[in-house]
Amino acid sequence: MLRITLASVAVLVALALALGPLADAQQGQPPPPWKQGQPANMADSTLAPIAQPPAPKAAGEIPVDKIKVPAGFKVSLWAHGINNAREMVWGDKGTLFVSSRVAGNVYALVDKGDSREVKVIAKGLNLPNGIAFKNGTLYIGEVSRITKMVGIEDKLDNPPAMEVVYDILPRDLPHGWKHLAFGPDGKLYFNIGAPCNICVPPDTHANLSRVNPDGTGFEYVAHGVRNSVGFDWHPITKRLYFTTHARDWMGDDSPSDRFDVVMRKGQHFGYPYCHAGDMLDPEFGKGKSCNDYVKPILKTGPHVAGNGVEFYTGSQFPAEYQNRAFLAQRGSWNRSKKIGFRVMMVTIDAKGGVAKYEPFAEGWLQGDEIWGRPVYTRTMKDGSLLIADDYAGAIYRVSYSR
Amino acid sequence: MTTGAPAPTADLEAGQRKSEPCKACHGADGNATIPGTPSLAGQPVFFTHWQLIKFRDGRRKDPQMTPFAANLSDTDMADLAAYYAAQRPQPRPAVTDSAKAEAGRQLASQHHCVSCHRPGLTGHEQIPRLAGQDLAYLVKLLRGFKAQTAGDLDGTMTTAAQPLSEADIENLSHYMAALPPVPAPPR
Repeated sequence: MLRITLASVAVLVALALALGPLADAQQGQPPPPWKQGQPANMADSTLAPIAQPPAPKAAGEIPVDKIKVPAGFKVSLWAHGINNAREMVWGDKGTLFVSSRVAGNVYALVDKGDSREVKVIAKGLNLPNGIAFKNGTLYIGEVSRITKMVGIEDKLDNPPAMEVVYDILPRDLPHGWKHLAFGPDGKLYFNIGAPCNICVPPDTHANLSRVNPDGTGFEYVAHGVRNSVGFDWHPITKRLYFTTHARDWMGDDSPSDRFDVVMRKGQHFGYPYCHAGDMLDPEFGKGKSCNDYVKPILKTGPHVAGNGVEFYTGSQFPAEYQNRAFLAQRGSWNRSKKIGFRVMMVTIDAKGGVAKYEPFAEGWLQGDEIWGRPVYTRTMKDGSLLIADDYAGAIYRVSYSR
Repeated sequence: MTTGAPAPTADLEAGQRKSEPCKACHGADGNATIPGTPSLAGQPVFFTHWQLIKFRDGRRKDPQMTPFAANLSDTDMADLAAYYAAQRPQPRPAVTDSAKAEAGRQLASQHHCVSCHRPGLTGHEQIPRLAGQDLAYLVKLLRGFKAQTAGDLDGTMTTAAQPLSEADIENLSHYMAALPPVPAPPR
């Protein structure tokens, strides 16, 4: 299962050669992916990715009252005990499907009125972050394949076999997990991340891609995208907006993560040469110009780790919330003082740019301690907003009443 | 009000009780003596818990562990992981070769083992203590990662093991096995 492509080994070897002075001088092998690109003057840094707990928190260990939202909104704990809860999609019959990443599970949540029943419908998968639902079928995106479960909602206790939709995908695990979503054109969109922190990736990596739901017609949509695991389409313009995690080990305040819009197929968004639209990479940016790449419509902040993107079209929130984008930011590890761990909202102006960028829900970060990591949102039928927290293994519901 | 799998709150006494069936291979206090079987004493809580999850869901396979883990609940796993983390690790009896260990020390530096496993290879969080672990087990696991059959959480070890030769694996294992088994720092 865990095969590494020849291309990626070649990348790592090339990376080890190319990094030269940036890597420790006497060392022949590349460091682990999260540490690649760390300059010599940061060699003593103790920063490392935040460990994913192996178990979800008990309800009593989840301080929902610490989550702050605008006046008129309230937050409740909607479901818990969902190890590593990530993406959420609704089935036609009201089932909420929830993915995970390192836990390897896909869950089905059945609403029992004042509680939710959690069923594991698939386990042992390879970072199954991406899920999408259409016409009674659940699609699951693992690192190197997209599969489907036909008629799943009628078989939650005896799930159907996973049928392969498309499996001609790189097997690299670094940034190999997928966001999966159906576009307004009916195609299935996903990301293929860069197999490293910073490297010149093979042509097959660092992009957004799409394929028809029957597995035909694969094509690249955007290039130069380091690691995007959240995107959605504007409800009116139908344009594709996406978040991207920027590279690490360039300091606490650079480069910024970004929020972008795809104006036409095949645009290049700069990675690994230019970051945040205006900052050449110290190694790979030599001889390049940021003007040759698409600039972000919004710099979302350094290391904030923007994941989920969802445009709000529900009926419950005040009128000004219509068509705003919710950005779930899972939060930083490569920064001496933590940042992110919040849900932000973006108001898009008439030209498709950004009019306003402001917090919607925050409080998972208290001082420099975290108790949760908001990672994706999903609007409910009644217009409430669900927020998944992969660190606490919980889902919160934000509702509004005047 | 919500329901779901009740989240485990670790219980050391329950962990000790539940470790009864583990003792035959892993030792009374998580210090194994059978070559090829890892010591669990002083391993980080997250590490042991995640390994049990992987054995249960099939990502990691072993003739002994797979059937055993199949029957464990989430609470069982949390209790066992907490119990073993609290035990004092002892050195393993396997004889290590000092020349191989020295070659392994240099390899460990070249391959950045301390980046994740920490100085002294004590482990932390989901990353295991390698210092003082069983020689034959270390060889077996590194071979498994190289063969891409060991099923790590995020692929880091599978990637790291690809350039290793059989001699590298042996030398690295001698180096790690010969280190003093200092337990991982508590969370």
